[in-house]
Amino acid sequence: MDPSLFADLAVAGLITGGIYALIAIGLNLQYGLLRIMNIAHGEFLMVGAYLTYALRTATGASPLWFLPVSAGAMFLLGLALHRLVFRRLAATSASPEVLEERSLLVGFGLMFVMQNVALLIWGADLRGYDYLSDPIQYHGVVVTANRLLVFGVVVTISAALMIALRTTMAGKAVRGMLQSPLGALLVGVDTRRLHPICFALGLAMAGAAGSLLSMIFEVSPSMGESYTVTALIVITLGGLGHIAGSFVGALVLGLVESFGMYFTSPSLKVLLSYGVFVLVLLIRPRGLFAR
Amino acid sequence: MIARRLVGALAAVAIFALPLYGSPFAVALGLACLMYATLATSWSIFSGPTRTLSLATSAFFGLGAYCTAFALGSLPWPLIIFLGGSVAAAFAALIGLVVLRLRGAYFAVLTFGLGEVVRHAVTYIEKSQSGTVGRVLTDTPPAGTVYITVAVLAALAAVAYRTVARSDLGFALRGIGADEERAATLGVHVRRAKLAAFCLTAWFAGAVGAAAAVRWTYIDPSSVFNPFIVFQTVLIAMVGGPAKLRGPILGALIFSLLAELLRLRLPYLYMIVLGVLLILSVLFLPEGLAGVRWIDRLLAPRRRARAEASHV
Amino acid sequence: MQARDLCVRFGGLRALSNVTFAVAPSELVGIIGPNGAGKTTLFHVLSGIVAPASGRLSFAGHDLTGRAPHQFCWRGIARTFQTPRVFPALTVLENVAFGARFLHRRQRRAIAGTRAARLDEAARAALARVEMTGDASLSAGALPPARQRLLEIAMALATNPRLLLLDEVVAGLTESEAAEVARLIRGIQRELGVAVIWIEHAVGTLMRAVDRMMVLDYGELIADGAPAAVAADRRVIDAYLGGDEGGAG
Repeated sequence: MDPSLFADLAVAGLITGGIYALIAIGLNLQYGLLRIMNIAHGEFLMVGAYLTYALRTATGASPLWFLPVSAGAMFLLGLALHRLVFRRLAATSASPEVLEERSLLVGFGLMFVMQNVALLIWGADLRGYDYLSDPIQYHGVVVTANRLLVFGVVVTISAALMIALRTTMAGKAVRGMLQSPLGALLVGVDTRRLHPICFALGLAMAGAAGSLLSMIFEVSPSMGESYTVTALIVITLGGLGHIAGSFVGALVLGLVESFGMYFTSPSLKVLLSYGVFVLVLLIRPRGLFAR
Repeated sequence: MIARRLVGALAAVAIFALPLYGSPFAVALGLACLMYATLATSWSIFSGPTRTLSLATSAFFGLGAYCTAFALGSLPWPLIIFLGGSVAAAFAALIGLVVLRLRGAYFAVLTFGLGEVVRHAVTYIEKSQSGTVGRVLTDTPPAGTVYITVAVLAALAAVAYRTVARSDLGFALRGIGADEERAATLGVHVRRAKLAAFCLTAWFAGAVGAAAAVRWTYIDPSSVFNPFIVFQTVLIAMVGGPAKLRGPILGALIFSLLAELLRLRLPYLYMIVLGVLLILSVLFLPEGLAGVRWIDRLLAPRRRARAEASHV
Repeated sequence: MQARDLCVRFGGLRALSNVTFAVAPSELVGIIGPNGAGKTTLFHVLSGIVAPASGRLSFAGHDLTGRAPHQFCWRGIARTFQTPRVFPALTVLENVAFGARFLHRRQRRAIAGTRAARLDEAARAALARVEMTGDASLSAGALPPARQRLLEIAMALATNPRLLLLDEVVAGLTESEAAEVARLIRGIQRELGVAVIWIEHAVGTLMRAVDRMMVLDYGELIADGAPAAVAADRRVIDAYLGGDEGGAG
């Protein structure tokens, strides 16, 4: 294969994978920690994207300013949701299976509410804005500046999160909770405070991912759905509860999709990732990197 | 007791005879109501007792619709419906072998993704074969025929639900829903039971899809593989209450009326209301409306509350 | 029942190592061992819930290694669970009848009458064996755990087994209550010709009731023989008392 073609595909795959990483890490925090499968996760990405889009088109300022806004708004929304909905759900569910069933249904409802709110406000057309779309050349590989930026931000955020998880007290508490919820309680981790924060943090990451996406793609109310599925695929690849695994798994998936699309067809991308999903679930359900 | 039976019989006659005396609007409304009653009831056959959220309805529905698209005009109408159901059921059997090993969130997301996967696959096939993505339906049967078809399917779905609930399969499914491993140690062939119920659900969804497709004169993948179909199905079943037969039927009734009130005027608001309703009902009404005692007593025959499909 | 070299690993932990034994028809065998010795894991293997990493398992001449739980049930192996797993929303009788519903052809007894009648009769017969006939219409979820354990025995009996696996069925009972249960079990063994493997923490009850005793420690089978001999076995004493190399405390 032509090396510059290879590089093109690899770069594209890595960038897509980077976005997947943010979303997947967010979902991992929620599902791995709280056993809440937020099937509406992708919708928070969508709202984050729209927020950044709206603010950018209203003010004309660089969308990077609005990245924290999108993330912050989703964080607050997450706190509210946890308090109003999921905490009650957890309190009234007789077992973890029941909790999972019910949060699935709630998530399903949430998905439709959010998509239609977006439709109500912004309509169904694709919208977008132009930002840093000048191409950059490097040794025959062409990438638009905005994609490079997005990748850079993704890596920064993921790295910051992973470092925080390893070094800060709060981070260690979270990792403890991911490994053993009961053990964490026994050791004195304040799960009541950390649970909503982690939940909200997961949503904030989705919002951030959406914000970044708005810089390179167009936004539409239904854009979030496929990312939820992708996030779950990545978590499965990387292992539930393993944040670093999600990061690597996301990049792997991005690359697989990129190369796979080239060799088959772009419209079979969904089939491809779905196939990967099923394969992993059958062969190594604990994830490729599980010990 | 006799009075109830009489009322029931009259209601059935009124329903089936609607095309004879009702306005086209009423028939359309009735059709939508019956369609969702069928979808919700058949969905509950699998997802009710096993407590596994299946979001595959859109995939099955769409497959049935495409059967009609291909076969309309070349095959007799009843055969098309049967074929629509069977194609969906065959598909369910195929993917069921893989997907039914999973539970909970993975199963839900995977079945949800199925709709997307099939949609993309169909789009790809259509594009490479005929260049265009949609199909125009000609030779569609009259509205009355479609209505009767769906009414029959609804009745069959109700019968199927009841038959399964009282049979060994029903007990097996409820056992699986309560404690799958335990049921297996007591002799339940878990895979076979799940597969049977799953395929049954798929058959009805496919058959309804085949029938309902002729409501549109032009079908394309995005409209028939629309996630909203499964959403409304799940909503109706859950808000109605999936554990008893009257649940999905009650839900379908309410939502069809609600739909007519809101949908045409404020479509997005309608969906938002539905979504909020689902969330509220999961939070506060775990057994759905059918579980609320006074509604239950209003609808239920007084006899044999336990001999009915009992919760496990 | 023939078990050969059963090995089970959970992550890095060897739950069972090279466990080998055989159980003859109608034999009553007890299993004891310190906490975490792998007793319940062994039952999981013997009932098909966990597949052994290596080793073979055969029953009545059929190889059951790695098969699904329902196959174990169909071949005639039934079990109870340490923490009772009954169906809480059904009545006691319905719980027992559940076990009678899914039998393989070869297990079904030739009883006349409609299917409902047969199920009912089989369920009542099983219930009578554990002397719970009076509780038939009680909700299973409302029973105290001790009664639920008896219910589990009845549920197991309803599947018409050749081998019964009982997991700590006298936990929490006084000595005389436990002796009662032991009597019921011996009755089942003798009158139905069922083989029984019985895990228990209450070593005393077991000693008096069984013909043969096996001892597990850290996943290994360290003793297998007559109760008196096993009780005097040095290795068994060490296992329970922590050994003389200074166990904890």
